[in-house]
Amino acid sequence: MKKKLLSVVLSAAMVSGILAGCGEAAPAANDAAAPAAEASEAAPAEDTAPAEAGSGKVYLLNFKPETDEAWQELAATYTEQTGVPVTVLTAADGQYSTTLQSEMAKSEAPTIFNIGNATAAQTWDEYTYDLKDSALYNHLTDKSLTVEYNGKVAAVANCYECYGIIYNKTILGDYCTMDNAVVSSIDEINSLDTLVAVAEDINNRVDEINEQFGYELTEAFASAGLDDGSSWRFSGHLANMPLYYEFKDDNVDLIAGEGEITGKYLDNFKKVWDMYVNTSEADPMTLNSGAYNAETEFGMGEAVFYQNGDWEFSALTNEENGYTVTADDLAMMPIYFGVDDANEGLCVGTENHWAVNAKAPQEDIDSTLAFLEWVITSDEGRDAITNKMGLSAPFDTFTGDYASNNAFAACAGEYMANGKTSVAWSFNATPNVDDWRADVVAALTAYTTGSGDWSAVEKAFTEGWAEQWKLAEEAANN
Amino acid sequence: MEKSIKKYFPIFVLPTMVAFAIGFLIPFVYGIFLSFCKFTTVVDWKWVGLQNYTKIFVVNGKVDNTFLHSLWYTALFTVVSVLIINVVAFAIAMLLTKGIKGTNLFRTVFFMPNLIGGIVLSYIWLMIFNSILANYHRTIVTTQWDAFWGMIIVVCWQQIGYMMIIYIAGIQNIPGELIEAAKIDGASGRDMLKHVTLPLLMPTITICSFLTLTNGFKLFDQNFALTGGNPGKMSQLLALNIYDTMYGTTGWQGVGQAKAVLFFIMVAVIAVVQNKITTSKEVQQ
Repeated sequence: MKKKLLSVVLSAAMVSGILAGCGEAAPAANDAAAPAAEASEAAPAEDTAPAEAGSGKVYLLNFKPETDEAWQELAATYTEQTGVPVTVLTAADGQYSTTLQSEMAKSEAPTIFNIGNATAAQTWDEYTYDLKDSALYNHLTDKSLTVEYNGKVAAVANCYECYGIIYNKTILGDYCTMDNAVVSSIDEINSLDTLVAVAEDINNRVDEINEQFGYELTEAFASAGLDDGSSWRFSGHLANMPLYYEFKDDNVDLIAGEGEITGKYLDNFKKVWDMYVNTSEADPMTLNSGAYNAETEFGMGEAVFYQNGDWEFSALTNEENGYTVTADDLAMMPIYFGVDDANEGLCVGTENHWAVNAKAPQEDIDSTLAFLEWVITSDEGRDAITNKMGLSAPFDTFTGDYASNNAFAACAGEYMANGKTSVAWSFNATPNVDDWRADVVAALTAYTTGSGDWSAVEKAFTEGWAEQWKLAEEAANN
Repeated sequence: MEKSIKKYFPIFVLPTMVAFAIGFLIPFVYGIFLSFCKFTTVVDWKWVGLQNYTKIFVVNGKVDNTFLHSLWYTALFTVVSVLIINVVAFAIAMLLTKGIKGTNLFRTVFFMPNLIGGIVLSYIWLMIFNSILANYHRTIVTTQWDAFWGMIIVVCWQQIGYMMIIYIAGIQNIPGELIEAAKIDGASGRDMLKHVTLPLLMPTITICSFLTLTNGFKLFDQNFALTGGNPGKMSQLLALNIYDTMYGTTGWQGVGQAKAVLFFIMVAVIAVVQNKITTSKEVQQ
């Protein structure tokens, strides 16, 4: 009898396993759609939904994990107001392309997805809807903040970011008052040569500075980690500088780039890189270990300089992180590169662009465009983007209360107001980003540890670029 | 009885077959098909013939060694890990069947690492390795050989306990009278091992070597978390190389798929050959 019971339980377990397996495909979209479905039932009774909201569905595959909560709330609000179901799914950090690939294969595919750069626009060319006539594009203040591919406005930036050299202006300011300081005010740091001199001087006089002002400084520049979690700061963001100036000299589109590069500004790259390594306490031999945390070094006041972007603002000022720096200490200067230092501003651009799925049914596309317009024009939408997500939105509707409160973004604006030219995100042109960067980082690591020389970096940079460019072209053309 | 079994055979097999078809057969066949296509998502494909397969070896008109490098690197990794894991697991199993004090405690402790997921495990080991190596101005990814031995250590640490359990079960299955008879015949410890224990353990050895062999070839988590393929792509094992091609190189999803098909064929052939060899050495009790 007992055996019989056991076998019944076992077979029940097996069958339910199968059933659960079959039902798997749907829930991804379902869980967020649940509140949406409830609301849409309620909507017809009032029928106050604006006509232009459309009859379709919206499905946003969100790129920034930290904004998930705000998006879910916003989606629920919209559904409540219009009855249009809005699903938001957020891909785990670093898993966006994997998630996108599998979600796009489903019958209920995302209607809004993220396009990072030209490479992604190429991959998803058949899926990107031309946004040229959309309200989104019309409201965009800087029309260069788009990804154009194949004659289409394939994607429109939903926020812009800036990066440069973050510095602790309190410590740096105090340094300037010291005897024999290289500069007597922060404003005097306006070229690569001065920056190198200042960084070296600070690094040599760390103890003296600590003694005089009571800091816990250990180095000038925060560690330049070459592990996968940090190397993009150099193979992506710093590499942007030689790319940008070369594209500029060659008169090509600064974001789209060109197929062959000469690496004429790589010597400057080397100079900056050497400064990062030589004026930091981190052991150059173990930069790829992943054991260094530059954010912590800077946040705890151990370093004065830290190359990164305005997205660090919330991490550095979040009290939960326990950092000693405060918003008043934070400022950002351009990555002086020794080419056109007098006119150089911060690097302003983004990897966050909304693209609309051209393969979705027309009514879904209409609803999606209406939803996006609502997000950037309504009070709820603007409040969510600026205050809850902490982003700087590039649309003309974000003024007054909805202007960004990010100190670094303010620095970018200041440099622009002073007539400096923002450096474009030319690294968005990188063909086969991951492969190209991996090779550059490998060569850069070898150079830094002394097991390779600089020519290998140049080779990976220029020849690697041409190779990957050819591959990407070939992949696009057949 | 026989008749009714035959009659209801399809009904009993059906649930498993359905699950097997959904979870394995259909994706497998579809995967082979996709390796001859250029595709962005799996439902959006274009037939390109053998192009994906040639791209594995020839890139931009030049021979590309990335795949071949990771092939021999994986092969070497598998050989070394199979040897170490099996020898050590067997040795520990022998020790822990001798009835020494605390046998159960030891077995539990040795088995423990196997309960931790590969990714977590590797991140923990990464910290251990790097903090030790930092004293010598090295990291786990300074050269491909640092990475190689790092992975060997992690994988051995993780799998030895598991194989040990299987070996213990095998050793305990050896009939006591055989051992007693051998003892009475005056067999030394060495003779016992060579002529009694090992031959009778062949089925267990078949299983353990099969498991370690396929695990070695398919290793992904530890490779991904511990070295990430660094330096460059020098420490990429096959599975990571395929993943990297699939998601790292634009428009190369088909090439990644083609690599995966080659990978499958290789692992299948090697596993079958290994199975044949070790099974042929099994003896009847």
